[in-house]
Amino acid sequence: MYRLLNLGVIAGLVLAAAYVYDIKYQSTLRAERVAKLRQDLRRERDAIASLRAEWARLSEPRRIQALSERHLSLAPVRATQFDDFDSLPQRPMPAAPDDPIAATVERAADAPDSTGSVNSPATGERQ
Amino acid sequence: MSGGPVKAEAQAAAVQPRRNLIDAWLYGRNIDRGAKSRARVGLIILAFVMIYGVIAGRLVMLANEPGAHNARRPSADAVSTARPEVLDRRGDMLAADIKAPSLFGEPRNIIDVDEAVELLTAELPDLDAAELRDRLSSRKGFVWLKREITPPQQDAIHRLGLPGIGFLVENKRVYPNGPEVSHLIGHVNIDNKGIAGIEKWVDGQGLAALHMAGLATDRQLKPIELSLDLRVQHALRDELIRAKEKFQAIAAAGLVTDVNTGEVVAMVSLPDYDPNDPRQALEANRINRLTTGVYEMGSTFKALTLAMALDSGKFSLNSTVDARQPLQFGRFVIHDYHAQNRRLTLPEVFTYSSNIGTAHLALALGVDYHRRFLKKMGQLDRLHTELPESAEPLVPQHWGEINTATIAFGHGLSVAPLQAMMGVGAVVNGGLLIPPTFLKRTPAEAAALAKRVIKPETSAEMRYLMRLNVEKGTATRANVTGYYIGGKTGTSEKVVNGRYDKHKVLNSFTAILPADKPHYLLLVMLDEPKGLPETHGFDTSGWNAVPTGAAVISRIAPLLDIAPRFDLPPPDKLILARDGG
Repeated sequence: MYRLLNLGVIAGLVLAAAYVYDIKYQSTLRAERVAKLRQDLRRERDAIASLRAEWARLSEPRRIQALSERHLSLAPVRATQFDDFDSLPQRPMPAAPDDPIAATVERAADAPDSTGSVNSPATGERQ
Repeated sequence: MSGGPVKAEAQAAAVQPRRNLIDAWLYGRNIDRGAKSRARVGLIILAFVMIYGVIAGRLVMLANEPGAHNARRPSADAVSTARPEVLDRRGDMLAADIKAPSLFGEPRNIIDVDEAVELLTAELPDLDAAELRDRLSSRKGFVWLKREITPPQQDAIHRLGLPGIGFLVENKRVYPNGPEVSHLIGHVNIDNKGIAGIEKWVDGQGLAALHMAGLATDRQLKPIELSLDLRVQHALRDELIRAKEKFQAIAAAGLVTDVNTGEVVAMVSLPDYDPNDPRQALEANRINRLTTGVYEMGSTFKALTLAMALDSGKFSLNSTVDARQPLQFGRFVIHDYHAQNRRLTLPEVFTYSSNIGTAHLALALGVDYHRRFLKKMGQLDRLHTELPESAEPLVPQHWGEINTATIAFGHGLSVAPLQAMMGVGAVVNGGLLIPPTFLKRTPAEAAALAKRVIKPETSAEMRYLMRLNVEKGTATRANVTGYYIGGKTGTSEKVVNGRYDKHKVLNSFTAILPADKPHYLLLVMLDEPKGLPETHGFDTSGWNAVPTGAAVISRIAPLLDIAPRFDLPPPDKLILARDGG
């Protein structure tokens, strides 16, 4: 009976040792991976923080205003330039599809206007 | 002797068959030493199984304990303490940490000090060679050589390959908006500890304790969300800089608050400083005039006096007061700037900004009543906000009739402008005194803090008076088309050598926006503006602070989502009729 028990225990011991070794090996691998990922995360977070700070510095209102005054002919919005949706005129009816001339005119009217620098209304010169 | 136990056992077996069975299992049928020792071995096996079972069970318990794997040790990097980001109400960044390497030396490990000094000063020209030599020759184990160097410098020094020279990554605080939000946000010292403004407040909220324990090194801290709107702050500051230059004022300040929640949306005090270079903050002229300075607010205080008179029930909008002649107190005489020399109705007292009228109103209610009212409005005690810098109001020690008469029109009591705006906010928002805050606050939180100080009807009447003052009073230059502004001007002479100086004035303009249902309160202050040819040499508030306020409003109203309205009915219909005042 004891021989059987001893054999069983020895077999269990060997199995357990092998299993523990396997787990230890796996966990070391995973711990290394966690440490690496954590370091990557920290590096990424630091990079994000400095990029966000850089973006905040580049998009700060003082700088944007200076750039806009130098390169654009835009002015602050006046109260009279606002309007509400109720006073928008009705959208005109689309032209009949069998009229080629009307369709061409329609396409031309719907094409977006260019949005580069615009001519100043006062002088007509490019600013 | 050997027959004895066998006999006894046989006897026991006869008496107790169960006992016999156990004995038989333990020792075998024929008891002998071999069976006994086997039984002992069995017992020991059992004991060991139990002990190892306990150990194994405990291991399983420890392994399953939540969070046991995540116990983090403070890392060797990031010596300097981490701080939370500070954002404005829309999520724009106001302050953040970035990582910067710092250079250190271990003098005991340095082989050739001369070589190290030579190479390092070549790489970092702003290092003082003599000091560097002193530090590296010392017996210490660790010395800082230069804090916060750039990554290219780090690479270059690393490539020098000097023994005993190393780098540590530290957190460096940056303020991407430069001087834009200087006084409010404050600044930090070289060890990333807050020493002014919101930064200092953050330290007071438990961060300092974390720093002491060394736990705040690389932790993700929750960002602090301020009530500030960076776009409004910029517009206000930009207009104030223009006004300060145009009127050659020595200082200018501006404030935008939400009257319904007490949130400060913008706060500017010029001259300001760049928190990235906090040495500038030490100059006395760069204090935050809105919280750290106390001023006689001048006619702005008349709004409080009229609110008190209307709220007492003794006066109504149709009451009149005697402004026929100057009011005399011994050798002290109270004059009117826009003297009418007749009896004035309450709206006229407000729109002509009559000192005599307001003094009469306050005197009619009595010194005690006046004092209790101002106490209730929070004008007599130090105002505590998140900002650590605050100033105590200068209250007269003996408060007699003459003090009541002068304080009624804003002289003789000096308060912080932020404090005065809290009072005016309560006058116009329906009568609720809400302490100002620099952090985001919901209407529900504000309602919990609010304290009723005047009746809602009184508040509606005051809104009417403020609007009237813009339509035909001292603030007509603030009548911005499309935005329904109400406002009160204030011009107070500054005390120079114990006397009021006519040529040194502190001008202010307090505006509510929109006047029929105020959402925002704006204060513009100009310190010692000069008269210009285009203002006909006048230096009163209506000529400088008011146009500045109008310019600010036309810029910030679209940012604050206030829709322009045109063709509105006259104020007595729009404001008074609706609220039943």
